[in-house]
Amino acid sequence: MTEEKKKKSVDLASMALIDKASSDQVNLVFDRAEEMKPCPIGLVGSCCSNCGMGPCRVPLPRGKEETPEEKRKRRGICGATAETIAARNFARKIAGGAAAHSDHGRAVAELFLAAAKGEAPGYEIRDEQKLLQLALEWGVEIGNRSNSEIATQIGEKALGEFGRQEGELLFLRRAPLKRQELWRKLGVAPRGIDREIVEIMHRTHAGVDQDYRNLLQQGSRAALADGWGGSMIATELQDILFGTPAPVLSQVNLGVLKEDEVNIIIHGHEPLLSEMIVATAQDPQMVELAKAKGASGINLAGICCTANEILMRHGVPLAGNFLQQELALVTGAVDAMVVDVQCIMESLPDIAQCYHTKIITTSPKDKIGGAMHIEFNERNAILSAKEIVKVAIENFPKRGSNISIPKEKTDLIAGFSHETINYLLGGLFRASYRPLNDNIINGRIRGVAGVVGCNNARTTHNEGHIAMVKELIKNDVLVIQTGCSAMASATAGLMVPEAAAEYAGEGLASVCEAVGIPPVLHLGSCVDNSRILMAATAMVKDGGLGDDISDLPVAGAAPEWMSEKAISIGQYFVASGVFTIFGVNWPTTGSTEVTQFLFKDFEEMYGGMWAFEPDPLLAAKLMIEHIDKKRKALGIDKARERVLYDMTMRRELE
Amino acid sequence: MEYEIEEKSAPGREKVKVLGATFEEGRPQGEEDGKWRHKLETREEKLKYLETGERYWYGKDWYGSEKRKNPA
Ligand code: SF4
Repeated sequence: MTEEKKKKSVDLASMALIDKASSDQVNLVFDRAEEMKPCPIGLVGSCCSNCGMGPCRVPLPRGKEETPEEKRKRRGICGATAETIAARNFARKIAGGAAAHSDHGRAVAELFLAAAKGEAPGYEIRDEQKLLQLALEWGVEIGNRSNSEIATQIGEKALGEFGRQEGELLFLRRAPLKRQELWRKLGVAPRGIDREIVEIMHRTHAGVDQDYRNLLQQGSRAALADGWGGSMIATELQDILFGTPAPVLSQVNLGVLKEDEVNIIIHGHEPLLSEMIVATAQDPQMVELAKAKGASGINLAGICCTANEILMRHGVPLAGNFLQQELALVTGAVDAMVVDVQCIMESLPDIAQCYHTKIITTSPKDKIGGAMHIEFNERNAILSAKEIVKVAIENFPKRGSNISIPKEKTDLIAGFSHETINYLLGGLFRASYRPLNDNIINGRIRGVAGVVGCNNARTTHNEGHIAMVKELIKNDVLVIQTGCSAMASATAGLMVPEAAAEYAGEGLASVCEAVGIPPVLHLGSCVDNSRILMAATAMVKDGGLGDDISDLPVAGAAPEWMSEKAISIGQYFVASGVFTIFGVNWPTTGSTEVTQFLFKDFEEMYGGMWAFEPDPLLAAKLMIEHIDKKRKALGIDKARERVLYDMTMRRELE
Repeated sequence: MEYEIEEKSAPGREKVKVLGATFEEGRPQGEEDGKWRHKLETREEKLKYLETGERYWYGKDWYGSEKRKNPA
């Protein structure tokens, strides 16, 4: 293995396939990243192409201090300052991310309503408890009404959240009371999901909002409409339709592909169709068909967040994360890759031509030139799923001889929804976050970190995630994860209970052992970052750790971020009171004022702020410092001595 | 469930008996194993669980860290 190749990934399976791709003359994302350097002006947020007079470039002068006169002139043709341009670009990223998550939420709500009305055969209410939970929350009468009656009303209310014009999103009421008051005071409590996104697009049009602070506050409003709106709706309604995740054992990495079975990869973000594919792949008729074609069965595996969704609920193995999608094809053993929406590389059909893989797009929102399109029809989902599985089976005999499936695969336990964490910590009769809060107060657990986000071809695949997470758990910080970041930790063996003894600090390891959980918990897909908001709120509400999320000894990070969705997630975490640090690059460094506003002034307003640090170990250090700062403010910075009381000692106390 | 009693040493005292761990050992092996929500069968049980287990939001007498006269 050459030194140069080592830098592309830290994962052995990926490195072997990068080598294979090179000998197969396949051009990968890693090659493209090497061949094309990022535009240095766009990278720092200093390029504007919002009108036909531009694009205008307004970068900071290099290697010298700018005079006030130079700064005054550093503007676009329309007069927009570098601050306005950087803030507009940042806000538009938030709008893109919030739109992606929320349109996912909308698709779920539409299917949910159709299922409630009995118009989507194959879909049903699988988690009545969560249905009742939403009914209690949204004032929907329960009484003796049937689940479908309750669900119909909930579906209508959920859909109403997207087009709501005034008032506040319903889920905001879940947040700590103090946080709700703060959002109202700052004028960032979202009115409706679509409205806040549209308003960003309006305000960032040439010649509208030209105050970077005002633009970034609207960024918070739209991001909150994502985290406490669109994403939360997606998570909650998916839980009702497909089941709230509970612990499940599975495996991760490209070694989950099977040489003797029909391999179908499900890739993208929405679990609506893939739930049906999971069911169809187990259909005895389909299995027989596969056998008739010479395969010994049908093997499903996932990539990106569709994978996380079906892992969390069915234990379907993960083939890999974002930067492994092309590599899966390079194995030569994938008979079909079914994609829905988001994070799907346009290079897939091109690479598939070198092997035999069928790339199948399924969403009318997401078509790719060169791919086969089988549209997912929710009114007849089973039929769509069968058609797709059949294409894969028919394709199995066409495999070439150039097959190489890496042997690497690692065990993981996933399925840690907020509800399951609550249950695991306290049991069925006393479910509670108390044990977590107590162990934070007594110092066995130093704090909690959410490490989330993508892969980025500008940095070594998975290296940042794994290094950061290992550093955090070594320092007794419990790590909760979603998305591609969770998959990275899982490949490194951090998501099994045994990892506690091997990698975690003594305090964290003792708690993990007692509860029987890994030191790194998989909470699901990107929309499931809403589960992290719920866990943080439960910690606040349980008591003893302040009365707002910004009081908690917690931090967030996306060490290998690349997508606009990550920016939206980061912004809603910050606006919810969490210190959030990103790696790789930072998209506003072209304006010192905008960067300072996000990194410093936000802390005064929200109690949470952004930070940027590309070195994952230094970033982990900053997160730990922030956690320690919060511990100090709470007066729990010194671990208390443990005293075991028996009854005699207790009586003596009274 | 059966309670386990463990012997521990308390500071400056002889060994004392304390209640041991009450969690179920082992790890889930398949999709069905970890599905704790199936333990709640009736609607009443589910609503009761929401009131106690998820009391932070659905309990009638739970305020936790947020005890205050006027709701936000
Ligand atoms: S909106 Fe202003 S800064 Fe942007 S491209 Fe047009 S003239 Fe240039």
